[in-house]
Amino acid sequence: MTDLLIVLTMGLPWVGALVVWRLGDDKPDLQHRLAFVFALAAGIAALALIPLHTSDVELSIDAGSVFGKFTFVPDSLGVFLAAIATVIGSLAVLFSSDYMQGEKQLGRYYTSMLLFIGAMVGLALTGSILLLFIFWEITALCSYALISFYNDDPKAVAGGIKALIITQFGGIGMLAGALICFAYLGDYQIATFIEKADTLPSDMLTVMAFGFLAAAAAKSAQFPFHTWLPGAMEAPTPVSALIHAATMVNAGVYLLARFYPAFAGVDYWTDAVMVVGLVSALMAASMAVVAKDLKRVLAYSTISQLGYMVYAVGVGSIFASQFHLLSHAIFKALLFLSAGAVIHGVGTRDMFKMGGLGQAMPFNRNVFMIGALALAGVPVLNGFWSKEIILEHGLHDGPAWAYYGMLAGAGITALYTARMVWLVFFGRAHYETEHAHDAGPMMKVATGILAVGTLTSWLVIGLFGEMLEKSLPHHHIHVEAASDMLEAVITAPETLVALGVVLIGAVVWVIHRAFLPVGEFLAPLGAAADQDYGLNWVNRQIVQITQSLGERLRATQTGYLNWNVFGIVVGVIVTLGVLAWGA
Amino acid sequence: MSDVEILLVGGFMLAGVGLYGLLVIRNLIKVVVAMQIMVKGVLLALAAAAETSGQINLGQSMILTVIVADTVVAVIGLALAVQVRRVKGTLDVRELSELRG
Amino acid sequence: MADLPAFIWLLLVPLIATPFVYLVGRIFDVRGNLIARWAALVVLGVTWLPFILAVLDLDQNGADSYTLGTVTLRFDELSLLLAALSLGLSTVVVLYSAAYMQYEGRQEKYYACLTALTGVMIGLGCAGDLFNLWAWFEGMAIASFLLVAFYHEQANALEAGIKYLVQSAVGSALVMLGIALVLANTGTLDLVEIRAAAGDSTLLLAAGALFVIGFGIKAALVPMHTWLPDAHSQAPSGISAMLSGVVIEAGLIAMLRSVAALAGVSDAWGEMLMVFGVLNMVVGNLLALRQTQVKRLLAFSSLSHVGYMLVGLGVAIYANDATGAQGSLFHMLNHGLMKGLAFLAAGSLLYTLHVAAGSHAPLTIADLNGAAKRYPLTALGLSIAVLGLGGLPPLAGFMSKWQIFVAGFNTHESWIQALIVFAALNSVLSLGYYAPLVNALYREEESEAVVKGKRLPLTMSIPVVVLSVAVIVIGIWPALLRWLAEPAGDALLATFGF
Repeated sequence: MTDLLIVLTMGLPWVGALVVWRLGDDKPDLQHRLAFVFALAAGIAALALIPLHTSDVELSIDAGSVFGKFTFVPDSLGVFLAAIATVIGSLAVLFSSDYMQGEKQLGRYYTSMLLFIGAMVGLALTGSILLLFIFWEITALCSYALISFYNDDPKAVAGGIKALIITQFGGIGMLAGALICFAYLGDYQIATFIEKADTLPSDMLTVMAFGFLAAAAAKSAQFPFHTWLPGAMEAPTPVSALIHAATMVNAGVYLLARFYPAFAGVDYWTDAVMVVGLVSALMAASMAVVAKDLKRVLAYSTISQLGYMVYAVGVGSIFASQFHLLSHAIFKALLFLSAGAVIHGVGTRDMFKMGGLGQAMPFNRNVFMIGALALAGVPVLNGFWSKEIILEHGLHDGPAWAYYGMLAGAGITALYTARMVWLVFFGRAHYETEHAHDAGPMMKVATGILAVGTLTSWLVIGLFGEMLEKSLPHHHIHVEAASDMLEAVITAPETLVALGVVLIGAVVWVIHRAFLPVGEFLAPLGAAADQDYGLNWVNRQIVQITQSLGERLRATQTGYLNWNVFGIVVGVIVTLGVLAWGA
Repeated sequence: MSDVEILLVGGFMLAGVGLYGLLVIRNLIKVVVAMQIMVKGVLLALAAAAETSGQINLGQSMILTVIVADTVVAVIGLALAVQVRRVKGTLDVRELSELRG
Repeated sequence: MADLPAFIWLLLVPLIATPFVYLVGRIFDVRGNLIARWAALVVLGVTWLPFILAVLDLDQNGADSYTLGTVTLRFDELSLLLAALSLGLSTVVVLYSAAYMQYEGRQEKYYACLTALTGVMIGLGCAGDLFNLWAWFEGMAIASFLLVAFYHEQANALEAGIKYLVQSAVGSALVMLGIALVLANTGTLDLVEIRAAAGDSTLLLAAGALFVIGFGIKAALVPMHTWLPDAHSQAPSGISAMLSGVVIEAGLIAMLRSVAALAGVSDAWGEMLMVFGVLNMVVGNLLALRQTQVKRLLAFSSLSHVGYMLVGLGVAIYANDATGAQGSLFHMLNHGLMKGLAFLAAGSLLYTLHVAAGSHAPLTIADLNGAAKRYPLTALGLSIAVLGLGGLPPLAGFMSKWQIFVAGFNTHESWIQALIVFAALNSVLSLGYYAPLVNALYREEESEAVVKGKRLPLTMSIPVVVLSVAVIVIGIWPALLRWLAEPAGDALLATFGF
């Protein structure tokens, strides 16, 4: 039963991808519908899998020789991520049927979407590090294909290739880790590795731990690899919602959480994780304050929120990080989708060309507000609970300076959220199009469901904790009863402090004109934030250096026959020399 | 140095002469000639090697085979040279450098 | 005749048939092209029969040898791998060429050379002594010269042909010099006997170096690679697929066979191959990065893939671990499939956009713009090929690279592990030139060439579809090729005397 459900959850989207692709682009309605049907079916299968979670191998295929066994272990970490991927995936697909109405090459769009959903499920459920890496790369491939969906736009192409190359670059860390695991333990199974991690040579374990951290940072757009995510916003908005907010970017956090028990003992590893999270959270939040593009603000806020999750792993609270992952997936998908509806209605992404949209699209404003409040951490939305739990754990288990940093981050989050909401939905109308229309029916259904989720998903906290506790024997997660946890959050003095900070952040925006002198004082910082603190410059330099190396090397291909023969002579002499010296 | 060794060294030197030719010669026909010189050096070296190892029959059959194969290569090379002259109107290998980079 | 082993028939059938293919094409003047094509197809089809028999024979009785006079032919698992690769790819290429070459005159030459090339490559895998190895190698070179310069009215094709010819001739002369040294030193040319007779001699070391360089020219080791981008881009596309997919690999196998005989002379063979591997990866990738012509770009990417194979082989020889050799040979097969697919798909586009219109202009990346709309299968095939070459799962290229990487890490030596990480970095770099191809294909705005493009004949789509499916299936289920790659790797390592 469980194995069948695993196959269905993973296989249905892939079958769907094949079907939609074969259908041809001349039947768009059928493509919209079938894509949704397959995604929804996978979502149902994933939900059915939740109660069946276990830490046993439920499906195993022997790939033989150096590929080991391809196993699937539907433990609680995995099934939750799979459910997020498929359920939010099907909502994003549903949303697409309005958003992508009339677009060309729909087959390619839905095929990539469905392939992505299937690969994400595989990534979540697999028990083999090799297979994890394979799915990891497939999601990167789909993400690349979807970011550069509008291939005629050079920015989209550049963004896609940048995303692909940076995540692949980070992926090398994971590749090395998987290879180390196999070379020293003879097996790719995650369970085996976690059990025997301390039998590895300590330098190898260190390489592996930091390799995985690099891979996770690249995938989850954490410092210093975050530069691809803003560029990824060229993708159609449902893609941004699904891949670059709710699922794929979570894979990095998932990876860190999954392997935490093995790496926690490595010197400086937890500190490094914590710092990466802290730096990402603060840096991206500051960039979100100055960004003008609505989707970029959301992208930066994604980096920042992922920073919170990474920080939570760093302080050792897997439960808090995964719970925030769940909350964030829901409210950020909601924000992206309703932002997509706005962009669809106004035809621009520049927030300074919006304003006053609340009148024209009331439904959309309402759901966006719910998402925004959750992002800012206002009670009693899901973002509030999970962020408070992270902060609480941070204070108890982590160093104080990091805690204060994250606390400040919460304030900045409130500030940019207030700014965003104000610029888009309130204030003076700047948009030029007359027909700013409210979201379409499918868009409303999708965002409505997510809004309900944002309001209620925190209620599963008890169940969530219990499941993590039961099916992750090595993580030693101890979770109290739901009521205790919620009560602890409500009564803890830190919560009040945090809420105060959030309030200050929001108030700063409301009266930001009073802060103009401060603003001017901070202007250079704002300018630096706008330029991504120079990291984009670093990226460009690397590309440029590589390109010019390639260009210069072309001079060696002179095309002259004599020169070619000279190459042979050099080869002979060098080889003779090396062999003579080596022997 | 025995006669055979001189022959062997001579063969290598002759091949070196041919190789040097390929490094500096520009005329396509001469390039083919240089290739031939190189192979002639190879033949000498083979003969010497067969003599040293006392397998002169093997040496003979090898040398014959090399001559045949090498003639084929030379013929194709000359045919290409003729064709180059026809199409491009030159035999200078420096002119044959459209494909670069 | 009846007692000839199956593998002899395997290499004899195409060779014996070659003159017939040529003659029937020549004699029937009007329909000569058609008849030559069918003749070649029939010959290659028939050759599959002894191939299957040889597989069964090898499976039951192990490696076999056959001696005629002083010539000994040995058929082991490595020979089988090369035979499978060359026969498989040439069958596909003959199918493909029917439409691709339809506007060319005198096709009997083309098909005769192609059959001969297949035969000699199978023979090369079976060579049991050094001289024999050289003879097959030279035969392979001669057959391919004519194919590279097939468009003998085109200045660029002639230029490529001349460079290829001269550099190959230098290579074969160097190999012969090496053979002379070995013969003078050991008194034998048999690959097995040499190993027993080889002492610790500087001259043998020099012979080894000459083999590496001489055969290495054909295998496109940097810095002897300069002929490759020209020849591979100027040949007819089917031939580009053969050259990249099998011919350079045959050169590599010849090199390994000859070096294996001298394995005891030096301890540094493994390191040397790894050094060449690194050079090939870096130079190939960097040179490919700024190319604007698709076929030239693919040619440079062959350099980097030879680099991966060399790294795997080097690791295997260095550490005496068959995994690396198995991975490299697996990659050889996969590279044959992927690069064959890439060249055939790019060739299809070249055909519809330029050749069919009577133009010999190269296919540029800009020409690809929007090609997916009119030629969806071809575009998908090319995308699969380049993404597979870039090492993205779940395509074949990833699996074989992975096996090579595993071998590297299995040595537990940190410098080799660093080398593997560097190789992985090169894979990432290669996406920098593969990905833009895919983006161009799926643009909405069509290039001028695509707008004017002709219809694509069905016979050109079938090979592309077949190879695409193969690349995906092997990527998902790598064990499918294990029966070929793993015993071949073991056999190769065994010839190194481990």
